[in-house]
Amino acid sequence: MRNNRDTQLLCELSKPGRRAARLPACDVPEREIADLLPAESIAPKPPALPEVTEPQIVRHFVNLSTMNMSVDTHFYPLGSCTMKYNPKRNERAAAMPGFADLHPCQPEQSIQGMLALLYEMQEYFKEISGLDACSLQPAAGAHGELTALLVAAAYFRDNGEKRTKVLVPDNAHGTNPASAAMAGYKSITVKTTSDGFVDMADLAAKLDDEVAVMMITNPSTLGLFEPHMREIADQVHARGGLIYLDGANMNAILGITRPGDWGADMQHYNPHKTFSGPHGGGGPGAGPICVTDKLAPYLPTPIVRKGGSGGSSVENRKGTGKLNPSLNAQHSTLNSHYSLDFDMPKTIGRVRSFFGNVGVLVRAYAYIRTHGPDGLRAVSENAVLNANYLLSRVKHILPVPQGNRCMHEFVASANTLKKEKGITAMDIAKRLLDYGFHAPTVYFPLTVPEAMMCEPTESESKESLDAFAEVLFRITEEDADLLHDAPHTTSVSRPDEVRAARQPVLTWAALVEAN
Amino acid sequence: MPYHYNTPEDKQAMLAAIGAESVDVLFDAIPSELKLDRPLDLPPALSEMELDQHMRELASHNTPAGEAVCFLGAGSYDHFIPAVVDTIGSRSEFYTSYTPYQAEASQGNLQVMFEYQSLISELTGLDVSNASLYDGASAAAEAVLMAISATGRHGKVIVPESLHPEYRATIATYLENLETDLVTIPTPGGVVDPETLAEAIDEATAAVVLQQPNFFGCVEDPDAVSKIAKGAGALLIAAFDPLSLGVLKRPGDYGANIAVAEGHTLGSPMAYGGPYLGIMACEKSLVRRMPGRIAGQTVDRRGNTCYVLTMQTREQHIRREKATSNVCTNQGLFALRATVYLAQLGPQGLRETASLCLQKSRYAAEQLCLLERFSLAFDEPTFKEFVIRDTENRVEELLNFGLDKGYLAGLPLGRWYPELADCFLVAVTEKRTKAEIDGLVTTLANASTLTSIPATA
Repeated sequence: MRNNRDTQLLCELSKPGRRAARLPACDVPEREIADLLPAESIAPKPPALPEVTEPQIVRHFVNLSTMNMSVDTHFYPLGSCTMKYNPKRNERAAAMPGFADLHPCQPEQSIQGMLALLYEMQEYFKEISGLDACSLQPAAGAHGELTALLVAAAYFRDNGEKRTKVLVPDNAHGTNPASAAMAGYKSITVKTTSDGFVDMADLAAKLDDEVAVMMITNPSTLGLFEPHMREIADQVHARGGLIYLDGANMNAILGITRPGDWGADMQHYNPHKTFSGPHGGGGPGAGPICVTDKLAPYLPTPIVRKGGSGGSSVENRKGTGKLNPSLNAQHSTLNSHYSLDFDMPKTIGRVRSFFGNVGVLVRAYAYIRTHGPDGLRAVSENAVLNANYLLSRVKHILPVPQGNRCMHEFVASANTLKKEKGITAMDIAKRLLDYGFHAPTVYFPLTVPEAMMCEPTESESKESLDAFAEVLFRITEEDADLLHDAPHTTSVSRPDEVRAARQPVLTWAALVEAN
Repeated sequence: MPYHYNTPEDKQAMLAAIGAESVDVLFDAIPSELKLDRPLDLPPALSEMELDQHMRELASHNTPAGEAVCFLGAGSYDHFIPAVVDTIGSRSEFYTSYTPYQAEASQGNLQVMFEYQSLISELTGLDVSNASLYDGASAAAEAVLMAISATGRHGKVIVPESLHPEYRATIATYLENLETDLVTIPTPGGVVDPETLAEAIDEATAAVVLQQPNFFGCVEDPDAVSKIAKGAGALLIAAFDPLSLGVLKRPGDYGANIAVAEGHTLGSPMAYGGPYLGIMACEKSLVRRMPGRIAGQTVDRRGNTCYVLTMQTREQHIRREKATSNVCTNQGLFALRATVYLAQLGPQGLRETASLCLQKSRYAAEQLCLLERFSLAFDEPTFKEFVIRDTENRVEELLNFGLDKGYLAGLPLGRWYPELADCFLVAVTEKRTKAEIDGLVTTLANASTLTSIPATA
């Protein structure tokens, strides 16, 4: 039961003289700070952080946590986000000191278990995508997109080609065109047909020798497998361009079909979607990428190699191999030596510090090892079965413009309901919260009016899908005014977003100013 | 399968409702020639017990801080994490939730983002903060792009060699396919030389990036750098160490327009380099160019105070190719951990933590330099890290010897700085005890006395 008193802002709970942390006494000879640092660099006083006790902190944040929906408490049919169950065994593994307390610059001989795991992840990702090389460095899906586009740019530069355009279908995630722009390309929109597929005539019109990359999401954001995929890849390749696969929807095709087998030259994964990493309220995720052989030399460094050194500059990282026996008791049970390869002359460099979002990758590793090849295929089979079942129930309630079948997700439209009764996708989304369901993704993709994108994932039961469909039906029968004012049961309802944007109050200090 | 619900009976009922004969039929949209005709080549499934044993086995081949005494730094540090941070960070209502698009179902996360922004703003002395980016290096690269867009200057961006080499590498990658040049100025004395900077800067310079304390642990003169940058009409981007702000002036105090930091040190583990927390704060005038999620306070239809994601017109899902950045995720869970950590520390705790880092690292530096073999590479005041020169120029052997004795003694600098191949970087956090520091000194002294060190395998 929530207690609203303790969810006041920390600054309001603060009282001078309170404190939570006690630090140990200084056990080395102490000197005046003024003797150690230049006078002009010293802060006269520490920043004015709140002064609160530990019990206050716990009550504050625990009560705040109860003001969220989450996968562990609710069905979260948020399309394209793959809000599947986050296994607790993965959390335990990632928290093991042997993973969590490793410094990123430790010598190789002291992290052989970590490198073995990361090497295996590179191999698993390559196998699942059907591609030849992998970089685990990017920190998120969009970061993977940017990285891959920079890899493509380096490849073309190296080949003496100047290509300036990236093609992006109009139903793609917003990150695609944004990544293209960040990588220095001009983003060109390719239309999709009313069926939701790439418009081949529009592609033909826009495909020229200036096109570096076509980015494609397959299965698409409409939850459809692109029927012309091979043809699209062939046409782009024929003009010397590359295919980038936005891997957000990999949950539909694990072990069933592989992007590399349809002509994708590069792709990213979202391990926090497909491989069960928790979303953390918006992050952290990870965005490893896989590419074909010809693009491999341009990947960010380092890459984990098996069996000895990857090149001369790795010398710095190589140790004597002679560890204190107490520190490497089981070293011999790993059957190979793993090393970090920094020596890739054509690399684009790096897109962040250190190795990558390793904590997320450890969870993904645990997930893949839990499933094995048959289990991963079963993930996709059940995800697609659940989505099609939900579709079979929802299409009688809200039209699903792009058909009777889907992959892992589908997009329903409240457009008819809006015209007839004035009920919008947003109204339905908000009312679902009253019934204890998180809302689907609404108003995306932009190609479907009043879009409601539903992705149930494999980790929901038939009962919860039935309950969701029943509630959806009940909502469409409700009075429009009731829905316009929804949600009714949550602690807040319909925040004034216009005011938030026009008169931004982004900090406690701004709050004081505003009052 | 462990996380699926569907029984054979469920499947039959569901397929009947769909009107499909089998699950395979559901994949008919995939042309058969594109289907994989074999199982994936992956190891077989493990039960939970087997998985646990396997993960422990892998972990046992690593030597974490705790088994070895960690004096490694360079942007990742072995700071203490209070239990309360783990307790709150393990609340699954936080860690299994999504980006708070549906504000009514996400007030907990949104208020945490608002509180995080408030704390970062106070910490940096700047007006506004976003709700976090990926890590310190990519935050620095995003700040550079922001500065280019804000100044309209596409000529160059200046970074000193005293900026973390991986930050420089990241910025270089982000600029590689754009017209702006990255100009690196040397810092042979360990800090920025104002004259060198003044010569390099011009009217086409969008920004100067200054790390304080810098990669070598040295305390820069940010006022001097700020004055030169401002004089040329460029922005000052400060890369700071959050915990240093218990004793050092804040970026806003010396005129930084944008401040970025690696924030994992605020309550998140080293985790072999990630996930981490990219901190970014800026002046009010730049807020609409800032990448990443931002939460704002507003009122709901009943007049109640509440929080929403705001200024989303900067973002990729609205503006697509015209967005300020492609960033889509933040590091929400680590922003939460940082918020809890800063609340737990409070102003006095932050001051004391910073002071312990300062005192202990100075003690360690002095003790190491009592050994004839070692000297400080730079004659500048330092905060919690310092660069030791090994006059015998056998850094690798020395550090391997240290590891054999249970010390992650330091980071060799030769990979990034050929002229510092005889040097290594040592970091001393509040966690290191006098006994551990003395142990390091004794160990390295023993290495010094050995005439022959085991040869490289």
